[in-house]
Amino acid sequence: MNKWVLGIPIIALLSLPFLSSVSAHGVEISYTATEAIVVEINAAFDTGEPMAEAQVAVYAPNDAAEPWMTGTADEDGLFTFIPDPDIPGTWEVVVRQSGHGDTVYVTIEADETGNTVVNASGTSNPYTPAQMIMMGASVVWGCIGTALYFISRRG
Amino acid sequence: MEGFKQMLQSRYAAHEMRWAMLIGPIVIVLMLLSSCGSTPAAEAPPPEAESEAAEPAAETESEAAETMDGEGTLQLRANGEDFVRQGFVTKDGWNITFDHVYVTLANITAYQSDPPFDADAGGQPEAEVNVTADQTYTVDLAEGDENAETILIDELTAPAGRYNAISWDMVPAADGPSSGAVVTMIGTAERDGETVGFTIQLDRETTETCGDFVGDERKGILEADATADLEATFHFDHIFGDGEAAPDDEINTGALGFDPFAALADGGTLEADPATLQAELSAEDYEQLQQKHLAHVGEGHCSTSE
Repeated sequence: MNKWVLGIPIIALLSLPFLSSVSAHGVEISYTATEAIVVEINAAFDTGEPMAEAQVAVYAPNDAAEPWMTGTADEDGLFTFIPDPDIPGTWEVVVRQSGHGDTVYVTIEADETGNTVVNASGTSNPYTPAQMIMMGASVVWGCIGTALYFISRRG
Repeated sequence: MEGFKQMLQSRYAAHEMRWAMLIGPIVIVLMLLSSCGSTPAAEAPPPEAESEAAEPAAETESEAAETMDGEGTLQLRANGEDFVRQGFVTKDGWNITFDHVYVTLANITAYQSDPPFDADAGGQPEAEVNVTADQTYTVDLAEGDENAETILIDELTAPAGRYNAISWDMVPAADGPSSGAVVTMIGTAERDGETVGFTIQLDRETTETCGDFVGDERKGILEADATADLEATFHFDHIFGDGEAAPDDEINTGALGFDPFAALADGGTLEADPATLQAELSAEDYEQLQQKHLAHVGEGHCSTSE
């Protein structure tokens, strides 16, 4: 059986509620960029082979029957979408390829301060082993550096 | 450490090292983060489409809220897919056709799981609403022609809602053509003029706990006074492999094929009950056969426990 895994790095874009406007010849065009959540789906078989060009269907919490959007993963099995923060609840992402498929769930909700927060289930570690090693090494190096810093001050 | 202290006695050198030590890890982390952000974005719906979609969706939610209070009819179905209804070619070139494929299921339970059940993580669905068919059913997945509907196991009156998980027990049949076996496959295998009529019985008892159906359509969305269905799907290519897939495809590298069974045939006939399989298959083949996960929900996975 081809089992496969999905990773969901959730990228909160920089919070930049900014407003810009341009006025020329009686026309005013404005736009507002607001905080957004980008959900990135990383689909691969358990062999590590990406689910290249897998079919993806995203279902919003308020309609389990009809997809909110559909698309295709790229050659690396990656697919990103921006859920509508005005539709809180559990978003379902169904990914299929060659007779194999699975569903991952992304919960969009507001915390006490009104900020949008995201939780995901069915996720795997989004980092490669090399990235994990480098991150671990950087943490260790940071500890050593901090220690040496204080040693040098005492010296 | 003394060496380090001596080196740091030079204030200039110490100053340089402090910065290097503190900035170095930050630079590494920033490089890592930037490498994670290079994913091409899929095309999102344009704002107009989003706003158009939001309006009817809100109505759907409202309608759904009104109808979720009642009851409907939940059909429980079983499906051996085209491999069983139409036959297929195994990974080792045997052309298989099935006359009957009996599976016996008990304690079939449908759940409105919240949160949704993740079969890969295992455990049990967390559901305030579930319905159980409290009988034992032996169904023939090969029933009907190649265009037949999936097999209707039973119909339950159930509270409306979203049934996104299902579980069932695979148990031995108490009587009938599959008596004593959990799965009985009856059919014919042909290759290069050689024909083997076979009856193969499996006896592994399991509990299958599955998440949401994954397939061409959505299932388990039950509105009041309406009918919806859930499906227990069985993938027999996991035993025999698929001649249409590449030899190095995992569906084939993890499958037995039919050769190990053909080797047990006598005069073109194979009658293999569970005891025969255990005694006459190689230990490796028997273990592989016992570990096969036939149960799915469409293309979705199930968690299998003994």
